[in-house]
Parts: sequence; C-alpha cells; structure tokens
Amino acid sequence: MRIRVTRTGGLAGIARRAELDTSARTDAPHVHALAREAMASGLRTPTFGVPDGFHYEITVDGRTVHCADPRLSDAQRELISLVLREGA
Amino acid sequence: MDSSARGHVCFCTIVPPHILDRLAEAGDAPVREVARRALSLDARHRENRLLAPRTALPPTADGDHPERTVCDTRHSETLPGRVVRREGGSAVHDGSVNRAYDALGATYALYREAYGRRSIDGAGLPLDATVHYGHDYDNAFWNGERMVFGDGDGQIFNDFTVSVDVIGHELTHGVTQYTAGLDYQGQSGALNESVSDVFGSLVKQYALRQTADQADWLIGAGLLAPRVHGVALRSLREPGTAYDDEVLGKDPQPASMDGYVQTTEDNGGVHINSGIPNRAFYLVAAELGGFAWERAGQIWYDTLTGGTLHPDADFAAFAAATAAAARARYGEGRETAAVAKGWAQVGVTG
Repeated sequence: MRIRVTRTGGLAGIARRAELDTSARTDAPHVHALAREAMASGLRTPTFGVPDGFHYEITVDGRTVHCADPRLSDAQRELISLVLREGA
Repeated sequence: MDSSARGHVCFCTIVPPHILDRLAEAGDAPVREVARRALSLDARHRENRLLAPRTALPPTADGDHPERTVCDTRHSETLPGRVVRREGGSAVHDGSVNRAYDALGATYALYREAYGRRSIDGAGLPLDATVHYGHDYDNAFWNGERMVFGDGDGQIFNDFTVSVDVIGHELTHGVTQYTAGLDYQGQSGALNESVSDVFGSLVKQYALRQTADQADWLIGAGLLAPRVHGVALRSLREPGTAYDDEVLGKDPQPASMDGYVQTTEDNGGVHINSGIPNRAFYLVAAELGGFAWERAGQIWYDTLTGGTLHPDADFAAFAAATAAAARARYGEGRETAAVAKGWAQVGVTG
C-alpha cells in the first residue's frame, strides 16, 4: 500500500509532503488498518479547519481524503504522524 | 554553557525572558537558580508595567484587566488540558506556561491601552491558552475559543510560545473573528493573516516601546531552530527574506502585487500573499514614523472594527477602507496621504 500525506497551512504556511510504501514493513497490517480507518473518516473536499491550523490530504492507492486540525480522528493523527516521520 | 553566558545571567537584567526560561529549566543547578530568581523579578517588573496604566482607569466593569488561564495537555491533543496557571497566580517552573501567560497579558495591554478594546471580543472575553499540545508539534493556532501551542520539534521549530508576536498573531485571529470576520481564503484570507501579523508585531513593539524604525518587523523571531538558515517566519518590512534553507525552502512571500501567488493550497496562499498588505502597513508606519501602533495601527484598527468591510473584501477594498478610515480620523493630511502612498507602492489601488 502507498500512503501519501500532504500537510499545508499552519502558522508558518510551509507545506510538507511524504510518502510511505508499506510493502517491506513488518507492521504493514497495523498501518493498513490505520489507513482504512483514517480514510473512512476523511472528507472528500478540503475542509476549512481553523485559522493557522494544518490541513491534511491523505492519498491511499490513488484515493484522496481531507482533514484538518484540531479535528482529527485518532487513526488520522497516528497515520499522519507516521508518514511524515518515516515516509520519504 | 560557557562562563561568560553565566556571568551575563548574573549581572545583566536585559537577558530576554525566553532565554531565562530556558536557563530556568537547565540541568546545571546554579544556572537554574539564578535564572529562576531573575525570572521572578522580571515577572514582577512586567506585572508592575501592566498594572500601572490600569490603576489610572476607573475600577468599574469587567474586562478592565485580562482574565487569563493557561492549560497543559501534557503532549496529548485533547483540549483544553489541565489548568496550570490562572489570572494573578505566580509564575510556575515551566517556561512555556509563563511565556504564554505574559504574552496574553501583552496582547491584552495593546488592545486595551492603545485602542480601548476590552479583550478579544471587546467585552472582556477570558483569554485561554493551552501549551504542550501534541508531540513535537510544529504549530500554534486559534481554534475559535483558545490559543493552542505546540513545543516544536527542536530541529526546525522551537517552542511556539517563544515569540510574543506569534501569540499576538493568534489572538488577533480572535479579534478579526469578532469584528470584520474576514473569510479565511483567497485575498480576504490573506488580509485576515496580514491583520494578525500587523497586530502581532504591534504587540511586541508596544511591549518593548519601540518606534517604527527600532522594530524588527518580524513574525516568529527566535522560533526557527539554530540550524535553520533564517531569522523568522515572515518579515513585514521585507517579505520574502525571512528564511532561505535547504529543508524549509525559501520564504515565498511576495512584496507587491506583481508577485501575487495563485495557488489552491493553504486556502489560496493566505500565508503567502499576506506579504503584500503586510508591507503596505509597514510602509505607512515607516512614512509616519514614531510608534506604529499610534497612527498606522489606529487606522488599521478602525478599518477592522469600522463595520464597513465585507467578509470577502479583497486587497483593493481593504485599501479603500483604510483610506476612508484615515480620512475619517485625521482628515486630508499626512496620514491619509501615507496610506495612499503605501498601497500604491505595493501595487494595490483602492
């Protein structure tokens, strides 16, 4: 599974992008479960969020959803943090 | 830490509070003790400064003093978190809490003393903040009710409470929400951002009693970690020059309309195109000289609160409103001419 996260907005207005390929990961089942949860609670169109809040675009195998701080689900938060930390 | 830095802490009271806060958390016990003592003194001085003008006001309605509460989520993202400092409470052994508390007070002071505004909503709204939000969280935001600060990751960003102008910036989103209500997208969104940068910078200038030519006109000075090549997040005086770093990239802000950036990201580049109205404000303030919060700031404040701006106002509409506000308060004089000249220099005609 290929998971791409794009983070935009924020006080600094600096975008960050990262992609994670789960094929070689030992924790792939966990990451896949997180990704499915995160996608299920995402929105199809960008959401307003709050002033200076981060906006996120999560793309899993070609399908994209949107979400924004501070209203992330636990799965979205964990997935976003994992991909931005360990993705390339 | 070297011995000269220690000597500095011991004998010089000009050390910025955020450095003292750092030292107060230092592993070295003597350094920590000295810094803590300096901090408690500094807090007392600052409280005296804040209290002095207030005592001259009639002790009447609510909202003549700030009502601050700082909470700590202890690295979770569940708001608001546990209360760690309330209004009038003494400083705690957590620099983030004390910096947030002081900066809420500094923001309150600018609005109350320079513009007669009682807190964010003009009716004494309590000022609430949460610190230590999330893990290594690289942001600060206004969620419609409170200010929220991350600790930064230490690699790119430091603790988001280090810059008083950042705190002023966030709270000004609250003021805009209660007044002009500028839509947070496109040009009105960039204006919303710019208004926050303008008053955020004025909060710092007012606290330091700096004139327009003494001020740094930066947003987030001290926020970038030491290894990042840059001085701040944004510059109102020279948009596009705040940082140039291999990880962060280059500050993308345009300084005039010919550099206006069309994008769908970041609500249409609200943090990018804000450079244009930011520089217009700086130019007006520089032209008028003296304290920027007095005339330039007053004109922008009148514009924001005057009730004539539409929530989807574009740069031209905002420029026209500032010209009208200048004329209404100062007539056809230097101020009104400076406003027209400032906008013309960034390529906006009202």
